[in-house]
Amino acid sequence: MKAPLDLKDHRLIICLGPGGVGKTTVSAALALYGAMEGRAVDVMTVDPAPRLLDALGLDASSAEPQRVPLEGLLDGELRKTARRSRPRLRALKLDPKATFDALVDRYAPSATARDTILENRIYRNLSGALSGVGDYMAMEKLLELHLAPDADLIVLDTPPASEAIDFLDAPRRLLDLLNSRAITLLGRSGGSLLRGLKMVDFAARTVLSAFDRATGLHLLGDVQGFVESFAGMYAGFAERAQQAGELLKSPATIIVIVTTAEAARITQARDFAAALDKAGLQVDAVIVNRIMPEIPDAAEIARAKIPPALKRKLSRNLKDFAALKQREMHALKDLRAGLSSKSVIFGAPDLGREPRTLTDLAEIARSLEVIHDLSPNPFP
Amino acid sequence: MTLPRLIFVTGKGGTGKSTVAAALALALSRRRPTTLADLDKRRSALRLLGSLNGDGGTKPFTIAPDLEGIALTPHAELEAFIERIVPLKALSRRMLQSRTFSYVTAALPGLEAFLMLERLRIMAGDAALRDRYLVVDGPASGSALEFLSVAEGVKGIAPGGTLNRLASGVHSFLTDGTRFGVAITVSPEEMALREALETAEVLKNRRGIKWIVAVLNSTSKPLFDAADLAALTPLKAHAHLALRRNAIAQYTMRAREQLKAAGLHVVELPTIFLPELGKAAAGQLADKLEKTLTHQ
Repeated sequence: MKAPLDLKDHRLIICLGPGGVGKTTVSAALALYGAMEGRAVDVMTVDPAPRLLDALGLDASSAEPQRVPLEGLLDGELRKTARRSRPRLRALKLDPKATFDALVDRYAPSATARDTILENRIYRNLSGALSGVGDYMAMEKLLELHLAPDADLIVLDTPPASEAIDFLDAPRRLLDLLNSRAITLLGRSGGSLLRGLKMVDFAARTVLSAFDRATGLHLLGDVQGFVESFAGMYAGFAERAQQAGELLKSPATIIVIVTTAEAARITQARDFAAALDKAGLQVDAVIVNRIMPEIPDAAEIARAKIPPALKRKLSRNLKDFAALKQREMHALKDLRAGLSSKSVIFGAPDLGREPRTLTDLAEIARSLEVIHDLSPNPFP
Repeated sequence: MTLPRLIFVTGKGGTGKSTVAAALALALSRRRPTTLADLDKRRSALRLLGSLNGDGGTKPFTIAPDLEGIALTPHAELEAFIERIVPLKALSRRMLQSRTFSYVTAALPGLEAFLMLERLRIMAGDAALRDRYLVVDGPASGSALEFLSVAEGVKGIAPGGTLNRLASGVHSFLTDGTRFGVAITVSPEEMALREALETAEVLKNRRGIKWIVAVLNSTSKPLFDAADLAALTPLKAHAHLALRRNAIAQYTMRAREQLKAAGLHVVELPTIFLPELGKAAAGQLADKLEKTLTHQ
């Protein structure tokens, strides 16, 4: 079993999870933890909102990695480690469109081919935010960071997804699109392309043309042009996608699901884990963010020398928060039941305020701990 | 408050979007027959009301006497659309099963979303004829902005033809405050508040949406005053929880002020302190919403 917080043997942490669970915060905290251990760390966010950069006190406009000032965070013991090593934290915001353009630029066989692609209507749609290209490009950028030798650890914060697999599956999806034999269905011309197609393909082609006429989209020609213009670049893309796939399965990579203890998110986290498992990827850790503090003993209120009215208020407050804590415990048990025993569950504390400074992130990083009473018995 | 025929509920993840959608549908159904349309992939709102039959299907089903639910999926809308415009039913089905069509939708990702909006437009028209309300549990606010902007994109790519005509219809639907409104859920937290304000701004000024309310959810009143807190110092853990309660109250006030300053109508809902967030919780929130909506 890989120990997720023992970062020494690992080079890459991928944080997956639904939106609104503090994935960005947790990613930043993990990165900061790595830096505090004395390592050179890069953290990359794909989230279009500049939250991570905010928390790290950085300017959101730059596309280049920016150095996070760590002075004052390296306390006594860590300072010793630091002297022996090279703590560093850089944060970077991904621009999917720019990354895609750069990739096309790299693999296009000629300047004309490049321009044809960049101006194609489908490409412009495809490289927009809706289509999951952001996912693919995050993978691409990740590969770039990974191949560059100057980081000991890379933490990747992925876009919020309703399916975990959306992100990890992105390279394959894009390749499928570029390599689709459906292209032969879309052409205007008949000729040799159409020979060898099955009856059903002809039928589909008829329907697609009718669709195009009725909708006024005149889309199919563009689609064909798009796929054809990528023809010479397919090999380059395929190679990158394969490298990305290998990186995901490498023992140096840790896959983390970030969630909160709300019932709906737990269901989602369980679904994520199941989908990853099916794809042959092991979830090393689930980090449950915003774990509530322990509920204190009610007897303390009775014993305390305070006015009865205040005692009543305290009892009410305790009862209210105890109900929420109970809800959280149900959710955590539900999570444990739905995970492989190889996945460790960590809790990150709810600070009772929004983490907005490096000190807050450091506090979260230091308090990350395994939730033991949920873990399966290691000595059955 | 005059309500639009359809209320589209959105909000940042974790602000209780689905819970509020379920409670709102429950509350409105006490006035008039209501339909809860769930666009959320996991059907959280329908699940919360304990009424999810099988995979949901696409036919409406009864939740309570005057409340029906329906689970909508973009793919089903696309299928229906194609069946409508291409007169080869069996063949178009077969085509949808092949990879061919997923290929075109991958290239034109807005198409499914657009057809879903068209479906909502038709449902709202139908609700007007039958004098019903329609509550939609929509996508989280980031995706909702893209979702509600898709008609403009479609007009851009399809300069003429069926889709262009439909896009104009969808646009006038979204900007008609009697037919379409948005409820943005927000919890008393900085990030959620910021996202709600941004969402409201874009919907109002750039998308021309007329009816927008903010639902300030999971609020609390301050329970402890300064003297209480001073007396609590020796009870460390209890004092910590007391501060936590007051922090929610303080942020509730701040969020309320900022939302109002942005010109938004604010509806407030309390934190539900129950060990389970299910039917009972939705019922409590519905009671509260019913009062608020009748008062205004």
